[in-house]
Amino acid sequence: MNVLIKSVHLVDSSGKASKDATDILIESGVISKLGASQTASNGVEVFDGNGAWVSIGWVDSKANFRDPGHETKEGIKNGLEAAAAGGFTGVVLMSSTQPAIQSKADIEFLKGKSHAHPVKIYPTGALSVNRDGKDITEMFDMKNAGAVAFTDDRRTVSDSGLFMRALQYAKNIGSPIIHFPDDPTISGKGQVNEGIPSTMAGMKGMPSFAEELMVNRDLKICSYTDGRLHFSTISTAGAVALIRKAKAEGLHVTAEVAAHQLFFDDTTILEFNTNYKVKPPFRSKQDIVALMEGIADGTIDCICSDHSPEDEENKVVEFDFAAFGISGIETAFAVATTACQNKVGIEKIIESFTVNPRKVFGLPVPEIKVGAKAELTVFNPGLKWVFEASSMVSKSKNTPFSGMELIGKPLAIYSNGLFRVCPSPVVQKN
Amino acid sequence: MSQQLSVKHLLGIKDLQVDDIRKIFATAANFKDVINRPIKKVPSLRDITVANLFFENSTRTRLSFELAEKRLSADIVNFSASSSSVSKGETLIDTVNNILAMKVDMVVMRHPKPGAAVFLSRHVNAKIINAGDGTHEHPTQALLDAFSIAEKLGELKGVRVVIIGDILHSRVALSNIFCLKKMGAEVMVCGPVTLIPRYIADLGVIVEHDLKKALDWCDVANVLRIQLERQDIRYFPSLREYVMLYGINREILDSLKKDILVMHPGPINRGVELSSDAADSRQSIILQQVENGVAVRMAVLYLLAGQVD
Repeated sequence: MNVLIKSVHLVDSSGKASKDATDILIESGVISKLGASQTASNGVEVFDGNGAWVSIGWVDSKANFRDPGHETKEGIKNGLEAAAAGGFTGVVLMSSTQPAIQSKADIEFLKGKSHAHPVKIYPTGALSVNRDGKDITEMFDMKNAGAVAFTDDRRTVSDSGLFMRALQYAKNIGSPIIHFPDDPTISGKGQVNEGIPSTMAGMKGMPSFAEELMVNRDLKICSYTDGRLHFSTISTAGAVALIRKAKAEGLHVTAEVAAHQLFFDDTTILEFNTNYKVKPPFRSKQDIVALMEGIADGTIDCICSDHSPEDEENKVVEFDFAAFGISGIETAFAVATTACQNKVGIEKIIESFTVNPRKVFGLPVPEIKVGAKAELTVFNPGLKWVFEASSMVSKSKNTPFSGMELIGKPLAIYSNGLFRVCPSPVVQKN
Repeated sequence: MSQQLSVKHLLGIKDLQVDDIRKIFATAANFKDVINRPIKKVPSLRDITVANLFFENSTRTRLSFELAEKRLSADIVNFSASSSSVSKGETLIDTVNNILAMKVDMVVMRHPKPGAAVFLSRHVNAKIINAGDGTHEHPTQALLDAFSIAEKLGELKGVRVVIIGDILHSRVALSNIFCLKKMGAEVMVCGPVTLIPRYIADLGVIVEHDLKKALDWCDVANVLRIQLERQDIRYFPSLREYVMLYGINREILDSLKKDILVMHPGPINRGVELSSDAADSRQSIILQQVENGVAVRMAVLYLLAGQVD
């Protein structure tokens, strides 16, 4: 598809936008001309950026499409559309489907589903067979098929010996391990963060030190094995401090935070609204400050959507019975930029959606230059708009952001020779 | 004083104003007179239908509500989880909406999960009275406890109340803390560290782990039952050892400088948290609590029913 994207500022690899606006002509998937005041020839679609920014395509470092297993909640086809609506040109999908993604055939199934779509799937494979924490999977075979990392997703690998061997083995084949740090013997049946709100609500809490304890253990094992470890969705000030120190000591460790984690604290749970039920749970205001400092100083590499679509049957129930998670892939960027207004520079946020996830998973970093394959996201970092759950592309509407004004919005993507305009209606508030 | 509460439902003490609590107490005092007359019944709720939905076992709370409703001449339907469609997998909203379709005005619900009453109030069209939701709140228990203390000591302001036992799994403790603090009492919690929520002091209560010190401090001891059914893991090694540390008996009561009131929300595990000679002593107001329970629940039903369209 040939497209002329007019009047946009190009964002460089450090997240800075160019001073002058330009036009981008893309022909047959390749950037063929950069320069202001271009006119479109016949058969070229024109998209007026109207002063928007263009960066390399965004990659979501953690999402779930529930396929196979729970296709009614999302499914790959619909999930890719939702990802496009969220401005992503790539998604790292978690292994935690039913059954789990754990063989070459599973990886090929996922890869095959996105070859004709502008959004690329980067599958992860399970770390242990059936994600049951006993034996490591055939990682090499999965890597050759396209697995970018190995993880048991939100199931913590409690067995330290197994975790050590997984890091060693993955190192051997040049793959990172993703781990969700949580000590289940401490967090137990907790539903929310342990704190004053959980005490007032009479709910079992997950203490933040359950996360810190596991980060601490993981870092020891990472140091011993010299493996590559990526922490999935951290949430606590303690974890940020531990990872910051480990990075300074030269460990091959990276980390990500879910966008919504920057937005809400644990006082939200007093409403018993299950749209605020997430894992890791919303923590304290101090934790949010620490997470933002972590993004600003590079301790936290990626901001992900942690897209967790859930149907009403799993959300419109008593709080304890509700599933964890937010259907967040369409709002991740806006939620991050809104939460970080005047706290973290926009450059850092753009990096955590573009260059950083690719570095973590060893993916090629596209460029915006003549002759390069076009993989772009067009967005307006300052646009104010009201998000409505009713206009979501995702099959699951479990979101706490409906009706809220957000700042920053993806407008379109171009990738894999295909152009998509982000469909959500834009409502501007004065 | 208007005869309306500031809330549409009674979901927890958290949501109540001090004025609401005063209204409930004043109304309860009137109803206490009523139920001590030869004709115990008034026609206040004659056109109101109340459903008592108990998704968790209960004897006294359920009986107390049922009597309160009957004394107010309400029509009543009863529902318990063991004989219900819940075991067939029906959701809470469906269960309640099916009952409401039969034209029920008020729902009294006990449920094993915290927040269940709040959840229900958001999704169904009826007045909800929370009769205990998991480890969250048990507002009518707290109201009757506070009413009983005020009745005995004349006021709540400045009264020192210690709540003893399994605070972690207790909705009674939480609602009592909210209620007593609102009414100006001083509150202490006492029990083993494993059964005291880590952030409880932030609710404005004193934490004490030594039973003798706690009893020396207080005017009133509200003793909780050990909720073995809510403890999925062991928080103390044995009941025997719990009794050694936190069991209240005549001997310890006699060793105090003054006579304190002894309360218990029931049912008592005799010989565990309370010995018989303490439970049956002149200091115990446990049976007055039960009597006041009916009057307080009548008051709550009456004040909320005034808002039924």
